[in-house]
Amino acid sequence: MSDEPSNPAGENQRPTGERRRPAGSVGHPAQHSPVIEPPLPSASLPAAQFSRHAISRRELLKSGARGASLLGFGAAAGFLSGRESKDATRWQIDPNQCIQCGRCATDCVLEVSAVKCVHSYGMCGYCKLCTGYFEPEPINLDEGAENQLCPTGAIKREFIEDPYYEYSINKELCVGCGKCVKGCNMFGNGSLYLQVCHDRCINCNICSIATACPAQAFHQVPLTKPYLLRGKGASAK
Amino acid sequence: MSEDTGHKNASASPQRRSFLLAAAWGGGIAGLGGLTGLTIAKLTRKQTAAPARKPVLGDEFTYDVARFQKSDPALLRYQEITRFASGLEHARALAVAADAAIFVGGNGGIRNFSAKGEAGLKISLDQPVYSIALRASGEMIVGQLGKISVLDASGAVLAVWSGLPENLLPTSIALAGELVFVADAANRVVLKLDASGKKLGVIGARDPARNLKGFVVPSPYFCVRMAPDGLLRIANPGEHQIEAFTLDGDLEVAWGHGSFAVAGFCGCCNPVSFDVFPDGSFVTCEKGLPRVKLYNSTGEFTGLVAGPDAFPEYLQAANAGTTDVLGSGVYAAIDPQGRVLVLDSVSGLIRIMQRKPLDHE
Repeated sequence: MSDEPSNPAGENQRPTGERRRPAGSVGHPAQHSPVIEPPLPSASLPAAQFSRHAISRRELLKSGARGASLLGFGAAAGFLSGRESKDATRWQIDPNQCIQCGRCATDCVLEVSAVKCVHSYGMCGYCKLCTGYFEPEPINLDEGAENQLCPTGAIKREFIEDPYYEYSINKELCVGCGKCVKGCNMFGNGSLYLQVCHDRCINCNICSIATACPAQAFHQVPLTKPYLLRGKGASAK
Repeated sequence: MSEDTGHKNASASPQRRSFLLAAAWGGGIAGLGGLTGLTIAKLTRKQTAAPARKPVLGDEFTYDVARFQKSDPALLRYQEITRFASGLEHARALAVAADAAIFVGGNGGIRNFSAKGEAGLKISLDQPVYSIALRASGEMIVGQLGKISVLDASGAVLAVWSGLPENLLPTSIALAGELVFVADAANRVVLKLDASGKKLGVIGARDPARNLKGFVVPSPYFCVRMAPDGLLRIANPGEHQIEAFTLDGDLEVAWGHGSFAVAGFCGCCNPVSFDVFPDGSFVTCEKGLPRVKLYNSTGEFTGLVAGPDAFPEYLQAANAGTTDVLGSGVYAAIDPQGRVLVLDSVSGLIRIMQRKPLDHE
């Protein structure tokens, strides 16, 4: 099984060639004498001379098994901890830092960006002339396509009561360009803003929009609070 | 005893050493394992892929109001003669005393300036100031979130009025003799108070029986002024109008329309503030497109005090998307000499505008 010579006690005889302590010198560090023995060819060493420093096959296997289990345990712990730290956060936009540059629409790894406009109904003024919905100088204040600001027609306008209208975002159509957000921020009260929608976001390790964002508005937020919402009664719908 | 202990130490040392050695090895191996695990975890995460090739956004995705940000010089009726810094963050309250002294309020308190802009009294207040009205006696009526206070000329608090709404947001205060009118942007009504702050009534609440649809106030900009004709003028920003009310709250007349063109009020909700000249004509202020404009007493546009290009700091912030949407107001007040004082919250500057001589003068 093995070509290595063994003594009657079953101890492997291995020349170590390393710094060794003379017999009986273990204990107080002051007793250590730096005896350096040169490595010797194993064939020239009598078995008894190395019997104290050699380990048995059983011990080697045992130590190996222990080492392997420790390594495995450490690897598992490291893996889980690495996974845990990643799974515990989500990418999100701070609406107070967002400058509506349009990069959310172009830099997401998804075909259609996971960033969408969301609406804080609690903040919204339900304006008849919503600057997030209408072109700056609309022909008429109605739902005609020529009057709408959104290039994809993702905002729906519904009459509530004179003079109030409700606006809602169709997430399937919204591409996250932020044009309506700019209109609302510039003239309104900022109730329209961009958020990463986690029903679409695949939570990349390094978000490509975050990398491109010129305002550093992207942050990793706790999974327990994945949206940075504005206003009372804000909802990401 | 000591020999015994020494013997024990001597016999325990090798074991201890071996134990420490083993522990060190174990720790090292476990650490190595941990690092390996972390690396594996990192490698198995979803990596950033190159974004799918998407076309660059076209012009239709750009919000462009640049064409409205330039003003026609032919419409300018005023010129700036001086400007000075208010020294306040979010300066948003502006009032002029009978002696032309200027009072500005914002975060941090109130600052007083001479008619030439020389700094005077500084009154420090913990809560942001939203509005100031000045009594002939020199007392200041100061509006802050949830309260109205009366301060003497030195800034000492004489009274804090109670019995007002808890969420009161007093964005403007007007005086009519002993009466005090407070525009409450949070509740979208104007409160009518007596000289001691006792509530006498509410003006502008929705009441179909009186043909009152209510004020539309989407953001904290809501202005009330007393006009020389004895009627209150109240901005209805969501309707782009200035409405005239009797002191008892009857709506008499309204004028104004929404438009980005210079004669109208732009955006969703303007004007954000205004003042009334002794002849009954108006100076109005808009946010979004910072414009200070003139209208005659019937609401006809007559010219500009300052166009958007007079506010470069404001436009820069607006175009860059960094405007604080709740702190981007423009405010005007008329002083006894007929000059128009203009405060914009973004730069915190107060500009003193004087009427240009007419061509034939």
